[in-house]
Amino acid sequence: MNDSQINQVLSPTADVKHQPLVLSYGQGLGNFLSLYVGRTILFLITCTSVLSVLLIFFFIIRESLPFLQKFNLTEFLTNTGWYPQAEKPQFGALALIVGSFYVTAAALLFAVPTGILAAVFLSDIVSFKIQTFVKPVIELLAAIPSVAYGFFAIMVLAPWMQRKLGFTTGVNALNASFVLAVMALPTIVSVAQDSISAVGRELREASYGLGATRMETVFKVVIPAAHSGIIAAIILGMMRAIGETMVVWMASGNASQIPHPWWDLSQSIRTMTATIAGDMGETAKGSDHYRSLFTIGLLLLIMTLCLNLLSEYFLTQAAKKSGIRK
Amino acid sequence: MKIIIRCILDKIFTAITWLTVFVIVILLLLILGPILSRGTNAVVFRDTIEFRKMQMALLNRGNETNLTAEISEIAPVRQKVYDTINKFKSGIDTDALTEQVRKIYRDCGQELSYKKLTPQQYTETRSLLKDIRDRLQTAFASTDKVQIAKCTSFVMGYADDERFKGTSAGDFFRIAADFQKAVEKIDFAKHLQYVQAVGEMEDLLTQLLGPRPGEALPATAMNQFGATRWDLAEKLMDNLLWKEQWVSQKSGKSLVKIRTERAKEFAGTEIEPLFGYIKDNLEKMLKPQWRFYWQYFIDDSTPGHYFGGIGPEILGTLLLTLLSMVFVIPLGIISAAYLTECTTDNFVVKIIRMCINSLAGVPSIIFGLFGLAFFVLFLLPFLGFSSKPCILTASLTLSILTLPVMIRSSEEAIKAVPLTYKEASLALGASNFKTFMSVTLPAAMPGILTGVILSISRVAGETAPILFTGAVALGPVPSSIFHSTRTLSYGSYDMAVGDRLAAMVPHNQYGMVATLVILVLCLNTSAIILRSRLFKKLHGH
Repeated sequence: MNDSQINQVLSPTADVKHQPLVLSYGQGLGNFLSLYVGRTILFLITCTSVLSVLLIFFFIIRESLPFLQKFNLTEFLTNTGWYPQAEKPQFGALALIVGSFYVTAAALLFAVPTGILAAVFLSDIVSFKIQTFVKPVIELLAAIPSVAYGFFAIMVLAPWMQRKLGFTTGVNALNASFVLAVMALPTIVSVAQDSISAVGRELREASYGLGATRMETVFKVVIPAAHSGIIAAIILGMMRAIGETMVVWMASGNASQIPHPWWDLSQSIRTMTATIAGDMGETAKGSDHYRSLFTIGLLLLIMTLCLNLLSEYFLTQAAKKSGIRK
Repeated sequence: MKIIIRCILDKIFTAITWLTVFVIVILLLLILGPILSRGTNAVVFRDTIEFRKMQMALLNRGNETNLTAEISEIAPVRQKVYDTINKFKSGIDTDALTEQVRKIYRDCGQELSYKKLTPQQYTETRSLLKDIRDRLQTAFASTDKVQIAKCTSFVMGYADDERFKGTSAGDFFRIAADFQKAVEKIDFAKHLQYVQAVGEMEDLLTQLLGPRPGEALPATAMNQFGATRWDLAEKLMDNLLWKEQWVSQKSGKSLVKIRTERAKEFAGTEIEPLFGYIKDNLEKMLKPQWRFYWQYFIDDSTPGHYFGGIGPEILGTLLLTLLSMVFVIPLGIISAAYLTECTTDNFVVKIIRMCINSLAGVPSIIFGLFGLAFFVLFLLPFLGFSSKPCILTASLTLSILTLPVMIRSSEEAIKAVPLTYKEASLALGASNFKTFMSVTLPAAMPGILTGVILSISRVAGETAPILFTGAVALGPVPSSIFHSTRTLSYGSYDMAVGDRLAAMVPHNQYGMVATLVILVLCLNTSAIILRSRLFKKLHGH
């Protein structure tokens, strides 16, 4: 059969020139519009998030650039004196950076073991019924606004610490890191639990089959197999802690100093986020102090983005391992 | 043997994980417990007559005739306290007495000049008057009982003198008699202490019962009324009965708090039994009643949240949330639709996803900085508005903050719609767009709604991004979206770290944060329930 014969079969009145019966997408005008113009519009709208990220970077850099040109970056990063309002202002952010890492590290010290144990509990130890009860509790912990945590820290925890533990002040690094730990817990638990649950049943069964107890299975098989996801969980928890503002502003005491001796958690400290939040209200727009706060913000932004990329790397690793496509 | 140890270790491990989760649950209760229980106190509490007076005076709320009846009922009970104090003060408050005597002397001198007296009589009377005044002043200044008795009896000697009939000099003799009587009971060594102690006591009484009847009302609202709540009244009563002092025991040691009975400072005087009287009659003086103060959620407050409710804060939070939802819901759903329906995992999409993830990881304070630099300082002047933080900038900032949450949850919801739905629709000849609008989107709606609820709860609770972009601690109710507003979250912060005034009203501090927490938790609980229902529906159980 040649082409004309086929046409004869497909459309009995084939003398008239007409559209083919099956249109490929994009041939009709309406379809063309919906395919290309509509998609372009949708694409542009979707790009809002990209635009937002770019704008955030652009504006934070724009506000902090004059400061970086005027002052020495090395001094900013290594000097511990933060006296922006003094006659001869000093912008040494080291104490603030150390403060941020200090509370974050202390918070992770509480939160990581607790979080991983809770994740193991949810995935390996209890029945589905108890899981459905415990998971919402952890989600509620994540839902409580940070200002409520800060309120708890300053109104309930701080007086208690002063009274019962005999600290000179209740608003100190211990208070802030404890509350931060509670805030970071839900993130750590849920991400770690996902990755621990994703470890296949076969691995566990093989381990049990070799005579290992549950504890041995968890520590020697499950956790090593899920380590990428657990690392990602820890990083995400760290991001939550390092970027938190209200709790550290309210509970850390806001004294710009590096604790001495370094393990003394009962001293007041100050973090980068709390400095931005606390000082911004008192600065004149465009002053050195104002720009220095943006510089701290830039530093914080870069740090969290690096952590974010790192966590994504580990999450993809975990996903690859367990064979689940994200 | 070794197996036993391994089994024991295993059991211990299991126990530890149970304990961990138990601790987490306890932590949740410990954090929410005080906030919620003490927050309830802001709405359900025992009020006093001062509260009803305040509601009547500031908001014109309540029954005026009942209130007047109650006030006249309590007046005599209170008056007895004031009378006792006045009487006691007539003996010890010599500065006031001296002042009073001087005034009488001036008045009396004028009265004399109107009397028809010969110049000589006038001079004599005048000098006598002066003598009386001086003697009284000596008596007031003296701490020697004999000397006082001498002076007062000298003054009293002229009590029936014809020359002073009908003038205000009569007050001299009354004061002298009162003073003489009062002095007999006073231990003069304690004179100054008494003056100070009575002053403190009167201050506390003013805080407890409000200004005395007939006294000029203070300018600020918070001083115009006594204790408006029974728990506050009991606290003040405790302060009235017990004096707290911080005493250093040894040098170098921290101070120790000791409580002494205030009545002991007045041992042997007529004030001493007064404390018992106030304590026994406190209920009669304040008339406590249980009250459900639901207007707490709509009332405006006096400065510092001393009286009133959190109406403007709730309104501000709602405004910010609604406005940011207006921006973020369409953006989020469209982005999610594009990412799930229109593309495959190509390079551009990978970048978009990376940006969404990065946006989710940006600390909230950075959003605050960005909102300040972009929306407030750049966009508003660029569009021709005045560059100041307002509701619009705050909600734009919040909508960017919550965009990733919205996109991710919508994406999950759209992905969860079974492929068969879509295939059925396409097979019936519907276009892609039609399929999405009338099949996929409705099926994904509960999931998207969950995302919306989570975004709302996130927006309502965030504080850091709105610090510089539109939230204020005090200020008028906003009249347009170009004004800054009070919000629950920033208000909670401000009340917690705020001034002395806020510390005096703990129920308001807790009430504000409890409202916020309850709002957010209700939203989240409904999201959790919605999601579990959806899960059951889609998985057919």
